[in-house]
Amino acid sequence: MPIVSAFLVPGSPLPYVKRDNPSWGKIAAGYEAAGQALVASKPDVLLVYSTQWVAVLDQLWQARPRITGVHVDENWHEYADLPYDVKIDTKLAQACVSAATKAGVKSKAVNYDGFPIDTGTIVAANFLNPGGRIPMLIASNNLYHDFALTQKLGRIAAAQARSQKKRVAVIGVGNLSGAFFRGEIDIRKDKLAAPKYDRWNKKVLAFMAQGDVKGLAAAIPDFANDGKAEMGFKHYAWVLGAVGGKFTGATVHAYGPLYGAGGAVVEFQLKPRQ
Amino acid sequence: MATQRKNSKTNKNGQIVAGFLAPHPPHLVYGENPSQNEPTAEGGWEQLRWAYERARKSIEQLKPDVLLVHSPHWMTQQGHHFLGVPHLSGKSVDPIFPNIFRYQFELDVDVALAEACCNEGAKLGLYTKMMRNPNFRVDYGTITTLHMIRPQWDIPVVGLSANNSPYYLSTQEGLEEMDHLGKATRKAIEKTGRRAVLLASNTLCHWHFHEEPATPEDMSQEHPQSFSGYKWDMKIIDLLRQGKTKEVFQLLPQFIDEAFAEVKSGAFSWMFAAMGYPEIPGELHGYGTVIGTGNAVMEWNLVKAGLAGSKAGAKLKKAA
Repeated sequence: MPIVSAFLVPGSPLPYVKRDNPSWGKIAAGYEAAGQALVASKPDVLLVYSTQWVAVLDQLWQARPRITGVHVDENWHEYADLPYDVKIDTKLAQACVSAATKAGVKSKAVNYDGFPIDTGTIVAANFLNPGGRIPMLIASNNLYHDFALTQKLGRIAAAQARSQKKRVAVIGVGNLSGAFFRGEIDIRKDKLAAPKYDRWNKKVLAFMAQGDVKGLAAAIPDFANDGKAEMGFKHYAWVLGAVGGKFTGATVHAYGPLYGAGGAVVEFQLKPRQ
Repeated sequence: MATQRKNSKTNKNGQIVAGFLAPHPPHLVYGENPSQNEPTAEGGWEQLRWAYERARKSIEQLKPDVLLVHSPHWMTQQGHHFLGVPHLSGKSVDPIFPNIFRYQFELDVDVALAEACCNEGAKLGLYTKMMRNPNFRVDYGTITTLHMIRPQWDIPVVGLSANNSPYYLSTQEGLEEMDHLGKATRKAIEKTGRRAVLLASNTLCHWHFHEEPATPEDMSQEHPQSFSGYKWDMKIIDLLRQGKTKEVFQLLPQFIDEAFAEVKSGAFSWMFAAMGYPEIPGELHGYGTVIGTGNAVMEWNLVKAGLAGSKAGAKLKKAA
């Protein structure tokens, strides 16, 4: 069964908890457009990787059948709570644990009441999969894994879903440029932390829109360093791995600042161009 | 529910009576098997747990009104935040070690002091913010340090977030910001009349193993991950035991770089800045490794050193 849709989305809670701020509201609207595209693609499962689920020992895979609760963001606690209700495809999670371990990435299933689901995963789930209708696979971001290893994990996850004959939507959660404002700003005048980050983000989005996978691959090391790509852009690596290293273009549903960081809602085109 | 200890809020001359280096590996709580923690262990990490037992005796004697803890696991990118809800409770599950730490916490916050710290920090040019959301889940670093130092949970606390400025700015610039936060904390304590103990929730060398033993408390698997990191820890501890604070802070950036020391997150600098960088010997209650990282429980007792308490007050009056 195919990968039916693929997305790159921001993990900041601001579009969700404070969408009345115009620039963040634009991201929220973009998220909703992506959500419609996701539903239209009729996936059986969502493969989610969020930069904010940080691990340092092993590769972790969420394996609790249903996770509900209320999360409060560590930084943006003043705006609103983040309720969540997530169903997990536990059969797929267990298959990923086995397959990744077999491929040399020691992995563990996580199945604990009260386990702290990260802000990025919750924001993506609430916008793209409200009510938790579609089961999800959620993978951690091990800080010691690089771009290539994360790409491999995306590939492994997609292969396991394929072997279970599931239609898959893949989602990478994280920012483009990760540099942000550290002090108080007028949020109505939010902008990228520096003009060069805006230039970098637009360059990366252009590569995506053109389906220029090779051009983007060549630019990523500089984007990671000079453009301060969040977490080495590993959330994109996850998507790239899952879609088999190729896409033909992308629709940018929204792009804008998130307290100085660069957030974009991107839907990748997976079919050959007409 | 924790019992709020009656504190001496009428005392106008608040003071810091002690500071502790009080690391937060959740393994220590796990090894102790308290009723609040779901998993059970066959012991483990005794040297560190017994070090905390010795530190607890000092807390008992010091009778503080409040414990202030700075934790690297409440990360806030925008500013320095302070717990600002009078009572917080919930379940804290460690995202890294969920197999060993699933803890039902309940704590009382000294909101007035937290607000004073927040205000004094802002006066010194820091971006500070109060955390007022009652659904907030307190991080496992704060909880572990507080449980290990005072398992009765009967002393109000002030929780400070880690802005992680040393990671975003240069180490030096970031630590200077922590110096300001420490000075602001001291001012707030003095103004509010609290008798305060500071807890720097930091590990020293932070090089760690990347895989966990099947039985986490199997101490045959526990040792320093890095010999060079271990030697760094001993060097820093030795200097601290001699009271060579100035030398420690001169070496701190190099220690941070070469030992990947968690003190980079700022708690250690915050605590020493608040105490006025006293050149007094620190008392080592114990040292041990946890998944290879170096952890020391140390105390700087300002009462014993004559820098706090009634003697210090008398000295100050005499000088005046």
